[in-house]
Amino acid sequence: MLKLGVDKLKLTVVGFGKMGILHAGILNALPKVQLVAVCEKSGLIRKFMKKLFRDVSVVDDVGELSDLGLDAVYVTTPISYHFAVVKSIYNLKVASNVFVEKPLASNYGEARELCDLARRLGGVNMVGYMRRFSVTFRKAKELLSQGVIDEPVSFSAYACSSDFYGIDKNSKVSTPKVGVLRDLGCHAVDLALWFFGDFKVKNAKIDSLFGEGSEDSAFFEVETQSGVGGKFDVSWCVDGYRMPEVGFTVEGSKGVMRVNDDELEIRLNGGERFRWFRHDLKDNVGFWLGAPEYYREDECFLKSLIDGKNVEPDFFSSAKVDLVIDEVKAKAKRK
Amino acid sequence: MTSQERALLVGDNPFHGISHFSQERSRIRGDTSTSPEYAAKLVSIAVENGANGFMFSVSDTTLSILNILNEDGVVEHLDLYGIVPYAYEYVRMASQKGGLPGLAKAIAKEIFFSGNFGAVASGLNGVVLAKPISLMKAYLAYEISRVKSAVGKNARLSCVLLHQLVTDACLGFNLDWLFKAYVDFMLDRGIKPGFNTGNFPFLVEKFREWNISLEDVLVAAPFNKVGFQMVPSKEECEKVLASLPKPNVLAISILAAGYLKPEEAVDYIAGLPNIKGVAVGVSKERHANETFKLLGDRLS
Repeated sequence: MLKLGVDKLKLTVVGFGKMGILHAGILNALPKVQLVAVCEKSGLIRKFMKKLFRDVSVVDDVGELSDLGLDAVYVTTPISYHFAVVKSIYNLKVASNVFVEKPLASNYGEARELCDLARRLGGVNMVGYMRRFSVTFRKAKELLSQGVIDEPVSFSAYACSSDFYGIDKNSKVSTPKVGVLRDLGCHAVDLALWFFGDFKVKNAKIDSLFGEGSEDSAFFEVETQSGVGGKFDVSWCVDGYRMPEVGFTVEGSKGVMRVNDDELEIRLNGGERFRWFRHDLKDNVGFWLGAPEYYREDECFLKSLIDGKNVEPDFFSSAKVDLVIDEVKAKAKRK
Repeated sequence: MTSQERALLVGDNPFHGISHFSQERSRIRGDTSTSPEYAAKLVSIAVENGANGFMFSVSDTTLSILNILNEDGVVEHLDLYGIVPYAYEYVRMASQKGGLPGLAKAIAKEIFFSGNFGAVASGLNGVVLAKPISLMKAYLAYEISRVKSAVGKNARLSCVLLHQLVTDACLGFNLDWLFKAYVDFMLDRGIKPGFNTGNFPFLVEKFREWNISLEDVLVAAPFNKVGFQMVPSKEECEKVLASLPKPNVLAISILAAGYLKPEEAVDYIAGLPNIKGVAVGVSKERHANETFKLLGDRLS
């Protein structure tokens, strides 16, 4: 049992791309944490990491992490490696507490298998749906739970970025193989599940803009168990989204809520209007790298390790996102 | 500019279509990247109204703006504060080129074809012997040479600042030796080493612990009346600011990304100690005129 104040949490990061750097940087800045190892496949990156991090082991295989007595592992590899890496971590008993960057896996079958392993082996697990830790979406969830606009009647959601906007179709640029739904759309699906509960996909359309197999924009409609209809619009080829953005418009019988990464607005039927920006919602954190929500997310995971309690979003709730995305793909194919 | 004079800098965020307030509002207003010609005009108007410097991320867009300012004879009235790397473009490039290895190759190619022999030699040494400091020097030499070729010999590149993402990641990883090498490299070239950070108290604490002289460097950090992006808190940032040995802080986000009116924003900044200057972005001619007149009146 870890004694807070005496021992430090010993952590490692597997996959040292931009998300690995971000989480490792935040974790290492925390006084109760020690980054003891980093696991990275690229020889070039490993070569430089060995020079950069003098007190951190740099390895190329998850198996080499087994003897380090780790309290937890952060998995920040490309999405297609999540399944194999997390499975190895559990099977090789590298650590029982695992954080995986979103989404949990490349498909629902893999996600379900990881859930089975997690259930069998115990420990705390979490998936990096960091928008649940954004002040605007948290406030939205709170107001929806309080019934400020009454029960939701319908909603529309978007997840957009300009990452691949304006790129010539014949250029050598390659979009991530997992597609826009798992890379970006998963945030909107996760928030919708958090706000409204489980839902079924009614119809779906997926477009390829960069050749066969490329999945660059998607539109789909859903219905929740209580009959609330929802629409999703997802794309990484839209102008005006310098930073990826997720947003919702929720209609209730008493008014309308609009929320995105920057602001939250409520318009009640009587004409009253309330508005909050990040500035109004206590957005400061202990250490700022990337966005405040990453710090809150890491803090939440670490607290749950120390307390030995489950945390949300865990593997089980996150697997539902993979299920919805698989349903969208299946419906779109059938068309 | 004398050492006592406040730095009143035109910031370049609006020239790239950046809004930290609300991306949606920015889209609705139809904000897009400003043309280099119009951006240069805005900088010139700001200079006529009291601005004495330009703070910019080193990118093709800002180098075009500098080129025009040079041709118009404006650049010789300005102190230049370059921010490297232009993180947004590099993050986007990493997404498109398959991650960090793809990005590294693209940057190496740019440096190689730049014709900057010092940068190429240092870069080769860095890659072959896996020396991060040699690579950093190669990259910095390359970026400095890009700025100098855009503005000519008459320009004053007063300060080069490390981008917030890089500064804060290096702080998180405790890379004291990298900060020291950066400071030495810049001081050797007669350029003030600067650090753009979102963790001002943390940076000051670390620099003191690592014996990096706070008198030799410039720190750009958010300071505004509502505490927006002041981490971990407005109170802690103000306390640490007051403890500095001399004014070496550039206040950024003073308008809290457009949340505050210029008058109330400037009132707050005017009451703070150790503020070397401010950087404010402008997107309209009227803003350039009024904002810098106000800053000049209240802060000079």
